[in-house]
Amino acid sequence: MANAMTIVRAGVFAAAMVLGLNVVAQETVKQTPPEGGTPKDFTLPAKQQYQLENGLKVTLVPYGAIPKVTVSARVMVGNLNEYADTWLADLTADLMEEGTASRSAEDVAREAADMGGSLSIGVGPDQTSVTGESLAEFAPEMVALMADVMLNPSLPADELDRLRRDALRNVDVALNDPDTMGQIAFSKALYGDHPYGRLFPTEEQLNSYTADQIREFYENNFGAQRTHVFVVGVFDGDAVRAAIEQAFGDWKAGPEILTMPPEPAQGRQYVDMIDRANASQSNVFLGLPTIDPSQPDYIGLQVTNTMLGGSFSSRITSNIREDKGYTYSPRSSVSVRRLDGRWIQQAAITTDDTAAALKEIYFEINRLRDEAPPEAELKAIQNYMAGLFTLRNSTRGGIINMLNRVDLHGLDDSYLTEYVSRVYALTPGEISRIATRYIRPDDMTLVVVGDRARIGEAMANYLDPPP
Amino acid sequence: MVLRWLTVLAVFTLLAACGDSTPPPDSEATPAASTELSATATAPPAERLEVKPFTVGMTYHTLENGLKVILSHDDTAPVVTVAVYYNIGFRIEPRDRTGFAHLFEHMMFQGSENLGKMEFVNLVSSNGGILNGSTRFDYTNYFEIVPSHKLETMLWAEADRMRGLSITDDNLINQQGVVKNEVKVNVLNQPYGGFPWLYLPQYANENWYNSHNFYGDLEDLDAASLNDVALFFTQYYAPNNAALAIVGDFDSDEALAMVKKHFSKIPPSPEPIVLPDITEPRQEAEKIESYTDPLATRPGFAFAYHAPERLTPEWYAMGLIDQILLQGDDSLLHQALVKEAGMTDGVEGGINALLGNMFNYKGPMLWTASFIHDSGISRDDVLTVIDGVFDGLKNQPVDQAILDRALVKWRSAYYDEINSYFGFGRADLLASLALFDDNPEQINEFEKGMLAVTPEMIQQTAQEYLRPTNRTTLVLEAGAAEKEQDNG
Repeated sequence: MANAMTIVRAGVFAAAMVLGLNVVAQETVKQTPPEGGTPKDFTLPAKQQYQLENGLKVTLVPYGAIPKVTVSARVMVGNLNEYADTWLADLTADLMEEGTASRSAEDVAREAADMGGSLSIGVGPDQTSVTGESLAEFAPEMVALMADVMLNPSLPADELDRLRRDALRNVDVALNDPDTMGQIAFSKALYGDHPYGRLFPTEEQLNSYTADQIREFYENNFGAQRTHVFVVGVFDGDAVRAAIEQAFGDWKAGPEILTMPPEPAQGRQYVDMIDRANASQSNVFLGLPTIDPSQPDYIGLQVTNTMLGGSFSSRITSNIREDKGYTYSPRSSVSVRRLDGRWIQQAAITTDDTAAALKEIYFEINRLRDEAPPEAELKAIQNYMAGLFTLRNSTRGGIINMLNRVDLHGLDDSYLTEYVSRVYALTPGEISRIATRYIRPDDMTLVVVGDRARIGEAMANYLDPPP
Repeated sequence: MVLRWLTVLAVFTLLAACGDSTPPPDSEATPAASTELSATATAPPAERLEVKPFTVGMTYHTLENGLKVILSHDDTAPVVTVAVYYNIGFRIEPRDRTGFAHLFEHMMFQGSENLGKMEFVNLVSSNGGILNGSTRFDYTNYFEIVPSHKLETMLWAEADRMRGLSITDDNLINQQGVVKNEVKVNVLNQPYGGFPWLYLPQYANENWYNSHNFYGDLEDLDAASLNDVALFFTQYYAPNNAALAIVGDFDSDEALAMVKKHFSKIPPSPEPIVLPDITEPRQEAEKIESYTDPLATRPGFAFAYHAPERLTPEWYAMGLIDQILLQGDDSLLHQALVKEAGMTDGVEGGINALLGNMFNYKGPMLWTASFIHDSGISRDDVLTVIDGVFDGLKNQPVDQAILDRALVKWRSAYYDEINSYFGFGRADLLASLALFDDNPEQINEFEKGMLAVTPEMIQQTAQEYLRPTNRTTLVLEAGAAEKEQDNG
């Protein structure tokens, strides 16, 4: 029988209350929270979009009062474009950071710093992002500096060995991280040899890449047609437009965007438990391929996911964290690449509770499939998502991510302008329909990274194929 | 120490970015300090955009019960941040209850008089908001970011749990489980877990309050009782030991009236809150430390120097030294360790960088840096490079151009700090400055202090604070074999 305690701060009497372990669930009438005032309208920040003659897309969004600006070029060159040469795109980006025909890497870094800024290049499955941040007044110069890095990289061969060592180290560190270990196995099981299934290169691969190969990759992949430049923040629009025309206007159109959608394995894939002796937690991944944002049910799937495991208030989190205490940060998500989506529930669970937690996860999935959720629960999730939508569109980086999402997935503006109304249009019945259609336990692949000696037997029920 | 609840948000916080109203390109504004900067290869536009110096507007009030209240208007987006900061950091938790300040933070979500378990969380999310709490060296904070018309709803809820908690043994046992899982996922089951953020302060500091395991020994976490919870609440969770910051799109008069309505009747603590002595002695001998991480495959290196006391001229100088040495790809340590020595691909750190920023703490603090490198590089190899760089700052006054660049970098980073996380960054600074200094207006004064730093001050500060005898180096020995990379 649980003790209960009410601690009330009551002035001079507070000290007396300290030991007052009142075994009470006081039946006093609780206050209701005040409703609040009238909602204020939220409108998406106004944007200007145009295209240069060479096909380069430009989006400008004046935003904010803080005198800073973000310039981000999203180039449709990612790990997808490597085919089997895993991380060739990453090494290309690393080498692009090593200077241009007229500037050393240190020059680039110093010039960015003189603008109160930085310039960085990142590579994802579909895109290379070149992002510069600076004080507002330097926006045109930041555009010029970024363009120089993108158009005229020197790709110096003598820096490659150092960058290769860095990559080997980073891969080695990642391969020992239990969360990453699980993601690797999960991606490989679903996507096989497609680049989306190869998250990390082998040591042999990394050692084999040459500066010539990198130059070839750069020449064959980068160009205006694949590039979208976003400028968001405080800036002089005329000066920035002129700087973009001057810096990018003569760039070659380059290749068209590569379209090579994966064909993920359908149905459950059986993955052996990944052993980590004496691990105090099991890292669990449970999921399946699903729709991408261009599909009509996508927003409904997001709402369903948010209710199931994608928020702190969600059913799975309420169950395995706040009720059972099995885990700290469980989460489900709909993770998307171009023309690809996957739904996945992850959790790092205390070793001895792994099977019990999995049982609860399956229970919550099935419950949502079998019974339409209460209206009030759905309304709460809809309000939450509408609130998040406002937040996601109210920072420089967030605005760029949302607009890039529209571009990456071939959506149109209505995805953003109608997002909130589409969230609210969903009914409890549709949530169950969507859960039934897309979140199918029988088709889910399960990956468990943990201590086989301790839980191997208990996991066999979950991991082994039927005899 | 942050509760990792905002998993959905994590995907779009990559660029902790800005939020404010549409910029008027005001022609009467003073030009920013652009003339001092070295010219870029591109010709600047004929007329550079003129930018007003950015200042944070606010009103500041103290209620009769001692609660400090800061209101700062910002109508960029129709949202409001409500942040309550309690003057109880993990430094000063009870000696036999390591990790208790953080465990207690979790208990603040488990139920109060009018909000049962999960009801606080659900109240925020069902009203379209996000929330979190965290425990740091000198404060524990709780915040919500909600649509602005829900301000009063949040004030009511925060006042409810400031007034008291209503929790059970089951709630405590549940959160002990959650927190132990948090320690496992972030430290015990994680290669490089706790490196260097959890361990470096334990090695570098002398005073128990600064050098204990503030995430908590699992036994101590298990030993906590409801009595401990009650005692801690009574000791520290009182309006006279708290600050409330409200940032966003609201009417200040209305907001102040709501604050008074919901908070003014909460009684202050009956006795003054006495904090222990948390001072650190001046370090006189270098500390050379190491430990083995059984899960790591490559070694790690970290250093810590005791930083000058906050808000002193030396502290401002240290803020710019940090920019010169450590922040950005142009920084001297990046150039020396990454580009020239090729030891690593990045070095990270700063003042209070492990769990905050250079503004949001009160007591003794460290300036730290760390990186992971390949085996075969010794501590002395690293120190030879670092000392070479530091000698440059100690042996002569720094070039004015380098100091100017540091200032521009600092200003730019500071703007982002103020604007980080949908305006929460502004609330964080305002609440911290109210709580620690009773002076939230300080938020607009930092740049003045930075502008006053001279090359000579940089040199003197480097000589005193970058002494090897003011230093702890911590080497993480890799205890696991490197993994065969066969995952292609």
